[in-house]
Amino acid sequence: MNGKTVAIETQGLTKIYTRGIEQVLSVNEVSLKIAQGDFVSVIGPSGSGKTTLTNLLGCLDNPTRGELALGGRQIFGSGKRLSERELTRIRRETFGYIFQNFYLIPTLTVLENVLLPLTFYRKPGTESEALRLLGLLGIDHRKDHLPGEISGGEMQRVAIARAMVNRPEVLLADEPTGNLDTKRSTEIVQVLKELNQTAGLTIVMVTHNPELARQANRMIEMRDGRVTEMQA
Amino acid sequence: MISKFQVAYKNLLRKKVRSLLTLVGIALSSWVLVSLLGFNQGYETSLNRDIDNMGFQIMIMAKGCPYEAATLMLQGGAGLRYMKESIMADIAKEPEVEQITPILMSALFDPNKGEKGGIAGYFGIDAKTFAELKPFLRFKQGGWFTAPDAREVVMGYEAAELETREVGDMILMPEKNVQLKVVGILERTGTQDDGTIFVPLKTLQKVLNTPEDITTIGIKLKKGVDSAGLEEKLYKLPDVQIVSLTQVKETIMKLISTAKVMVLSIALIAIVISMVGVINTILTSVWERFQEIGILKTIGAMPGDVFQLIWIETLLLCTTGGVLGIALALFLSKVTDLAMRAVLPYAPGGGLVMIDTRLVLLTLAGIICIGLVSGVYPAWRAGRIRPLEAIRGEAGR
Amino acid sequence: MRTALMEKRSGSAARGSRKRAAAIVLSTLPASPSVKRLALLLAFLMLFAGASPAWAAVGCDLNDPDRDVARLFPESTGYKTVYTSILKKGGKPLLAQVEKRLGDTFKGIYETIDVPYTIYEIFTGTKKVGYIHGVNQKGQFGGIQVFVVLTVDGQMRGFYIQKMTSQYAAKLRDAAFGRQFAGLTLKDFEQYDVATGKAAGKVAGIKNPAPEAEADFRAALRATKKNLILMDEFVFEEQKR
Repeated sequence: MNGKTVAIETQGLTKIYTRGIEQVLSVNEVSLKIAQGDFVSVIGPSGSGKTTLTNLLGCLDNPTRGELALGGRQIFGSGKRLSERELTRIRRETFGYIFQNFYLIPTLTVLENVLLPLTFYRKPGTESEALRLLGLLGIDHRKDHLPGEISGGEMQRVAIARAMVNRPEVLLADEPTGNLDTKRSTEIVQVLKELNQTAGLTIVMVTHNPELARQANRMIEMRDGRVTEMQA
Repeated sequence: MISKFQVAYKNLLRKKVRSLLTLVGIALSSWVLVSLLGFNQGYETSLNRDIDNMGFQIMIMAKGCPYEAATLMLQGGAGLRYMKESIMADIAKEPEVEQITPILMSALFDPNKGEKGGIAGYFGIDAKTFAELKPFLRFKQGGWFTAPDAREVVMGYEAAELETREVGDMILMPEKNVQLKVVGILERTGTQDDGTIFVPLKTLQKVLNTPEDITTIGIKLKKGVDSAGLEEKLYKLPDVQIVSLTQVKETIMKLISTAKVMVLSIALIAIVISMVGVINTILTSVWERFQEIGILKTIGAMPGDVFQLIWIETLLLCTTGGVLGIALALFLSKVTDLAMRAVLPYAPGGGLVMIDTRLVLLTLAGIICIGLVSGVYPAWRAGRIRPLEAIRGEAGR
Repeated sequence: MRTALMEKRSGSAARGSRKRAAAIVLSTLPASPSVKRLALLLAFLMLFAGASPAWAAVGCDLNDPDRDVARLFPESTGYKTVYTSILKKGGKPLLAQVEKRLGDTFKGIYETIDVPYTIYEIFTGTKKVGYIHGVNQKGQFGGIQVFVVLTVDGQMRGFYIQKMTSQYAAKLRDAAFGRQFAGLTLKDFEQYDVATGKAAGKVAGIKNPAPEAEADFRAALRATKKNLILMDEFVFEEQKR
C-alpha cells in the first residue's frame, strides 16, 4: 500500500456496548489503514466484533472513542457525536453497502430498486449508471422483474448494483454471501473482485468463510475486538 | 428515475385489503362530513328561499288570527279575525318598510266538494303592491286584474289545473254565487301560491260585505334593515299579532340545531376513528418495514426523505378516501335529502343537501389536513429509524 | 313528514297532505304557550311556504277511499289502488286511439298524456267484485270529478260526481241522477256524440235534472264516456289479451 492514497484510517477506534449491567468491549483500540483500491476481507468468529468494526468504518455508528478519517478528512475523533443526519451525509458521499439480507423493496422492480438511491441523492453523471451496472452484473434481462421473482444470487447482484449506483468510493459488504450457496457465493465474490480490479473500487468484506476471504488482497482477522493482519 | 410518490403508492398496494379498509373508513367519514355540511348550508338556503318567496319578512294579523289562518283550510275559517285597512297607513310610514300589501283571506263553504262539502279559499289582494312584493311571479296565461274592483281572478297553477280553468273561463264563488272571470294563470312557483285563487281586494271586500276589512298585512323590509326595531314598534299596535319570519327562521334553525349537533358529533367521532385508523395502518406498516426503512438510510435517504415517503402514503390514503367519500355524498345526496326529511319536524322545499364546489374543496382540504396531521407521528417515527438498528434487528433474528 | 311518494300522486294530494301535517302539528302538541307558538309558526310555514318539488299532473282520487269504497260497494272487504297513465300504458298511439273512440281531442292542462289515473280494484275476500275510477272534466265554473262504479265485466252499477262548482250542482250530484246510469255499458255510450251532445239508445234516456246547467250535464256525459273508454283500455282490453 505504499504510495497509494489512504481511503480509511483509524486510530485507537473503540466501541463499548452496554448490555444490561455488562460492558462489552466490542472493538478495542483498533488502528488500521485501508488504501484506495484495497480489497480487504475481515474474518473472525461470531462476537469477535467484525460487524461492529465495519459499522464504525462505514459511519453507521459513532465510536465510543478513537479517531476515523476518510480520505484524509477526520470524521470521528473530535469528541463530538455525529447526528444521524450528518452520518447520512457522509455515508452517501463515500459508501455503498450490501448485507446478508438483500433488503430490496419488494414492491419495486429490479431497475426501480437500483434507481431508488438517486431519488434521495445524486452525484453528477450517474443517470445511466443503473442500466450499465445491471448489464455489468449480468442481470439486465431481469430489470422489470420484482425481487420476489428472481433468485437469491440475482437479488444480491441487484443489491450490489443499488450500492454502486451513486459511484461510492468504498463498498462495505457485511456477510454478502451468508444467504447463498457455495456456487453463488463464489460468483458474488468474483463480481466484487472484478469491481475492485477494473474500477479500482475499495472493498471491505466481512465474512466467516476463510475460502472466500482469501479472494481479497488483504485479510484482517478479528478476535475479541482486536485486529491481526493476515497474509493473503 | 423513480419518485417518492411512486414508492409510496406502490407500497400501499402491498397490503391491498388493509389499505382498502382504511380507505373505506376515511370515505365513510368524509361522506358523513360532506353530507352534514351540505345539509347545513342547504337547509338554511332552502329555508331562506322559502321565506324570500313569501315576499315579505313580517306579517301582521288580527289577534288570534294566525292560528286560524293556518287552519283556515281545515276549519272553514270559522275564527277569522279582521282588522281595518286604515292601520296600514301608519305602518307604511315607518322608515324600515319598503313595501306593504294588504291581504284578505276568505274561506267559503262549498257543499259540492266531496261528501260533506269543502272549503274554497280566496285571497283578496292589491295586485300592484302584491306583485311588487313577489317579483318572481310569472304568468303562464293572461295577466293581473284589469281594475282594482274587477270581477276577475288570477289562479295559481295547481288551482287552475284542479279547477280545469283557462283564461277566459268563468269561476263561481260558492256560498255567494258570484261569477268571476279568469284573467290570469300563474306559472308554478313551488310555493303555496300555486294552489291559491287571487281576487282583487276591493272585489272580495264587496262580495263578502266587509268593506275596509283585511286579515293580513305583508311587510317587506328595506334591504339590510334590522327587523327587530320595527317589530318593537309594531308590537305596540292594538289587537294585532306580529309574525316575524326572522323569528320563524330562528325558531326553526334552533330546532334543527339540536339535530345538527348530534350529527356533527357523529361525524366528528367518525373522523377521529378514521384518523386513529389511518395512524394505526401507517404505523403498523412502518414497523413491518422497519429494516427496509433503515436500509433506505444506507442508500442515501435523509430522515426528511423517509418522513416524506410515509407522509405521502398517509396523504394518498386520505385524499383518495376523501374524494371517494365526497363522490358518495354527491351521488347519494337525494337519498340523504329524503332521510333528513323523514326525521326533521319541518323541511323547506328545494334541496336540503347542497354540496357545491366550494364545500367540496373545503372538505377535501380539511380531510387532507387531517391526513397530514395523522401522518406526522408515523412519519416522524419512520424518519428516526437508524440503519444500525435495522441491521441489528437482522443480527438478532 | 312529507314524502316524495305522497307528492307524486298529484298536486292536490300533496297540498292535502301538507294541510293534514299542519293539522297534526297543531292538534298533537301540548298546549303550553311557547310550544303552541312554535306549532303555529310551523303550521304557518307549511301552509304558505311549503313547496311541492314533484310537479306531476293533477289526478282524480277519492277524497276518503275507505269511506267511499264502503259506501259504493257495501259488500266489499277491501280494495287495492292502482296508478296508471296513458303515457305509461301506451303513449301517443294510445292517446290517439282514446281520442278517436271519444270523438274528441284531449285539451287543456288537465287532460294531458301524463295525467295519473287512480283505479280502485274492489274485493270481497279474495274475489274481485268491481272497480271505481274517476276522471277530471272541465265544467262551466270549475273542475268536475266524475267517478264511475263498475262491475267486473264493465257494467255501470253507479255514477258519482265528487266535486262540481255550479249553482245546480246539487241536482247533478243527487243520487237520483246517478241512478239513471245504472246498467249502462261502454257500448251504450258509443252512441253518444260528445261534440254535439246528441245521443241514441239508452244514453238518450238520461234526463238532465238541471236544464239550466246544460253545459255541465254534457260535461258529465263526456266524462263518463271518457272514463269508460279509459277503463276499457287500461283494464278490460288487457283482460281479453
